[in-house]
Order: sequence, then structure tokens, then C-alpha cells
Amino acid sequence: MAANWWVAPAPVTRRVRAYFAPVNRATQTPVLFDAATQGTSFCLDAPPVPWIGLGWIEDFNRQPLSKTAAVQTGIPAAALQQVRETLGAQVSLQFLSWTKLTMALATGSQHMNLLAPASGAAAAADGAQAAAAVVVQSGSTATSIVLAAADAAPFGAGQIVAVDVDNTGQTGFVGSPVAGAYLRSALSDVDYVRRVTFNLAPVAQVTAAGLTLAAALPGGVPVNGMKLQTVRGFVDREGGSFYQEWSALFVVEGSQGERIFFHYPRLQSMSSAQESSLPLSGKQQNRLERVLLKGQFLALPVSDPLDGERVVCYRSFLPAANALV
Amino acid sequence: MQNAKDSFYMALRTRLAAIDPQRAILLRGAVRPGILVEEAEAPFSQLPSDVFVLRWLGLGVDVDLGSAMAAEQAEILYATCGTQRFGGLDRGRMLSAMDEELMSMMQPFHTPKLNYLATPPAALLTQVFWDEPSFAPVSVQRDRLSRSATVTVYSYQEQGE
Repeated sequence: MAANWWVAPAPVTRRVRAYFAPVNRATQTPVLFDAATQGTSFCLDAPPVPWIGLGWIEDFNRQPLSKTAAVQTGIPAAALQQVRETLGAQVSLQFLSWTKLTMALATGSQHMNLLAPASGAAAAADGAQAAAAVVVQSGSTATSIVLAAADAAPFGAGQIVAVDVDNTGQTGFVGSPVAGAYLRSALSDVDYVRRVTFNLAPVAQVTAAGLTLAAALPGGVPVNGMKLQTVRGFVDREGGSFYQEWSALFVVEGSQGERIFFHYPRLQSMSSAQESSLPLSGKQQNRLERVLLKGQFLALPVSDPLDGERVVCYRSFLPAANALV
Repeated sequence: MQNAKDSFYMALRTRLAAIDPQRAILLRGAVRPGILVEEAEAPFSQLPSDVFVLRWLGLGVDVDLGSAMAAEQAEILYATCGTQRFGGLDRGRMLSAMDEELMSMMQPFHTPKLNYLATPPAALLTQVFWDEPSFAPVSVQRDRLSRSATVTVYSYQEQGE
């Protein structure tokens, strides 16, 4: 009854999932995805380090911007060959969840943490002067922060904390492990790096010895000199000169187990913060709506070490088992 | 197509046994997980309570593909009168429990296609898959609450089927 092959039609899928990995902005080094070694084992619910899940996305649209031109020769002129004049691509999508990462990626500027304010601090649009940070003690891990007992006492389960270094007047890209901003000149705000850092996690439990985090810090084990502050929320601005950049991986899983990977080693946000609304029920227009984050991105090129070609995207396909190719 | 229907039913049955082992039915002298295929049993005067009944309805076929695709519409019916212990006053809760069990049974939304004519069942090459169930409103008949959910089950026809 069973044959040993079958002709697979076009993949049928439910939705697309997106994954993020940080780009080293200083060296312009992206995270590369190898579909041959990681494609089959890539767990969609628990992606391998350094990939971070961004959840489901909608309206995923890839738009190639590369232009080709024909080299004409002869009388009358006819195409002799083609050349690629420009290289480029854009990606647009809608995130189905609001998180630090999805908000940051869907805005064309730096994305900041609203740090818990100091008592009596004057109001500011980016968040008031923050309450003093506490020192992360040695022995901390990505999921367990060791604090002095007095420092741990004010924290509570359910809070979000930011862990990063003080701003001591440094310039250039700041934030760990993701560059959250670029400082052209020194700033006086000692908490600035923690305002822009992506090194956040929610607190699961507080003990006299410190905090147990509900998720691992994206930056891993805190390094010496890092401090911790409570985050109330997030804020971004229309304007500014910083563009978020990330290594992106979009995964389409077909009904037969086949997988399509779209890997953009370098994607930069290219539009300001936008939202769209999606009615929860088609019969109840203008009532309950889901607010989605819209993102539009420009793909930047990398040089493929295989042959030195400049490329902006890799599309990989892992066929279903026993499917004819 | 029968292989797809069998595989879908067996997937739900296996999942139900894991989700709620207590939901069972005594049928033809055997205790089985609480889901049955209506067309594979003797006709019922009234569908049994507190079990899921799978009924096959429409069928569509797309032959303009490398492998023909069948789309079979399944209706899953379930009803409850609640428990004697609470005098039936928990019938709403019992129906909600069955709603949740059905959603759990449906996920993941695919299962390997097997040929159950063979012993043991022979694995075929493709997966049977389906979309989210569409739940109908509750129907009330005296103290009996019932609901149905419909789902379209897709499968590819393989060589030899």
C-alpha cells in the first residue's frame, strides 16, 4: 500500500514565526543561520542561543528591491547579458505581541526602558530621574541575581528589571547584548545605558539573597560592574537618528513538516512606530480590536564567505520526508 | 481518504486518553476512550452523553496538484447532563470541560497518516492536518446541554490509496 515517495504540492502553513539575534554593531557582525545544521533541529518554541523568539507575525511581506539591467549590443540592439545594478530588499510584517523586542524592532529609533523614578523626581517624557540602581554581586547567573539583603528587599515578584553598566561618559554603541543606542557625545545620565538596554527579565521570586528571574537575561551572566533597576514600561520617540539592527530569521513550517527559512543577516528598522488594529470579531467592527505593531525593515548586505558575493537574504527549504524534489 | 479519517480519529482518541483518562465509554463490551465514530457504530436513538461523537459530513477534492488533496468536514458532537453528585447543576461546567478537552485534542493540528487495515498499522508518507474547530452555540434540551464543533481535515492521496 505504502509508496516510498510522494509528490508534495506547495507548502500549506498556518502563520510565520520570527526570531531575533543581536548584531554586533561595532563590527557589523551578524548572527548567521545554517539551515543544514540547524534547520531540522531548530525548535520553534525554544530556539537555540542566540536566537530569541518574537512570536507569531502576520502580513509577512518580502519585497525585493534589486534591479537588473540588460547590456544591449548589436543593431538593432538586443540583450547580450544581464547585470545587477542595485542590491536591496525590504521586509514588512505585523507583530502579534508587544514585548520589549518587538516594540523596539518596530520603531525607527532607540527604544527606552521607563525606569522606576526616584521619590519626588520631576516628570520627564522619557521617564523621570530613576531611583538609584543596586549593585549586582558576584555569583550571579543569567537567571539568578545576587544582591545585598537590603538591596533585594524593595523588589517584588512580577516586576521587570534591567541589568547593565553605568553610563560613565562612554560614546559609541551602548547596551548589552544588543546595542540599544549610539552615543555621539558623552551624556551625564548615569542610568542611560540601563534606559536603552535589552538586558531585561521579569522577577519570579525575591529572597534575602537576591532575585530569581522568570527568564534568562539575554546578555547571560552579568559582568562585573553591572547594576540593576526596576522597569515600569517602555517608551520610544518619533525622531532621533538611531536605527535598530538585528539578524532576522523567519520560519514557515508546512503541514507536512517541510520548513522554509528566510534569513536576513542584517535588518534595519526603516519606519517610525506604527500600529494597526485588527477587530477581534468580524461581526463586531469598531468594537474590540487587537492592536498590532507594524514593522518595516531594510535588508543590508553581507559578504558571503563562500564566494565573496554580496547578498541580503538567504532562503532555505527543507523538504518534507519522502517528498520528491 | 479512509486512512485520513481513521488517522484523525485515532489521533483524537489517543490524545483524549492522555488528557482525561476518566472520560471513557463502555461500548460493545469494551471500555474505550470517550470518543467514537458515529458511522462505525450501530445507530443511536440519542447520542450518548459525556463522550465525543465524530461524524463525517462534506467532502471536497482538489486534483489539480502533484498529489490530490482531500478536504473532509468532520463534526464533533458532545452533550452532558452534569453529574448526579451535583444534581446536574454542574452541567455548564461539564460542558466547558469538554470544550477545553476538545481544543486540547485538536493540538497539534496534524498527525501522521497510517493505514489501519494493516496490523500493526502501517505508517504512510504524509501527514493529515486540519484547521481550528468552529464551535456552534450550546443547544439546550431540558437538562441536557450539547454542542458541536466542525473542522476540516485535509490529506494528500498517496500512491496505492
